[in-house]
Amino acid sequence: MCGILKIIFDEVKMCQPTTNTVEEPLDLIRLSLDERIYVKMRNDRELRGRLHAYDQHLNMILGDVEETVTTVEIDEETYEELYKSTKRNIPMLFVRGDGVVLVAPPLRVG
Amino acid sequence: MADSLRERTIAENSMVILLQGLQGQVTTVDLKNESTARGRVVNVDAFMNIRLKDVLYRDRKGQLTQLQELFITGRNVRYVHIPDHIDIMKTIESQLAKIHRVRNFASQGGGRKEYTKKSKKHSGATSETKRNEKIKGLRTKET
Repeated sequence: MCGILKIIFDEVKMCQPTTNTVEEPLDLIRLSLDERIYVKMRNDRELRGRLHAYDQHLNMILGDVEETVTTVEIDEETYEELYKSTKRNIPMLFVRGDGVVLVAPPLRVG
Repeated sequence: MADSLRERTIAENSMVILLQGLQGQVTTVDLKNESTARGRVVNVDAFMNIRLKDVLYRDRKGQLTQLQELFITGRNVRYVHIPDHIDIMKTIESQLAKIHRVRNFASQGGGRKEYTKKSKKHSGATSETKRNEKIKGLRTKET
């Protein structure tokens, strides 16, 4: 009834995929549903949040998301590069798929 | 509600349907050009083109402008902030129900159907099982 919408919200599966095996790259994202993920986006942006839903365009709904925007400032005199990052938190975000570069499990720092 | 079959099909098969369910809500749309627009959603089409009204538009420098109406091309959307009180599942389900009501509207009176019954997959029966049923039916007739 819902085409190829795949959503898990509050542990209620709206649409069961027709197969439970991993067949194509999008199936790997399906494995991350309702998990926290790391999304690298265009324009030096990164998102960390809980994946609630996605579609074939990689439009995504992320909950409890932290967006990190990284900028490089170059010191006029010393020409050294200064990396700055700005973070902000958004409770529920719809992300348009054409900005997404990669999707991965959250990076473990330690 | 999208007027064309093509738009309804596109919306039904992507997450845009959630944005369409946000009609009437006040949301913030982050654009790719680093500006943001906060206003009431008038309409969202299958291509994610968004019409907002009573908008506070903040450009990349932070300058605020008030606009009565704003049309954002889908390609310019980066994020849409979903209001906290929205139940995502319910919104999507009600949007899908609207599409199916429209689709079934004509068929009840025997009028033009958007799809023939054959191509509908959600009934759970594949074309093979239907063929088997037909064969079974023929066999019982013969005996």
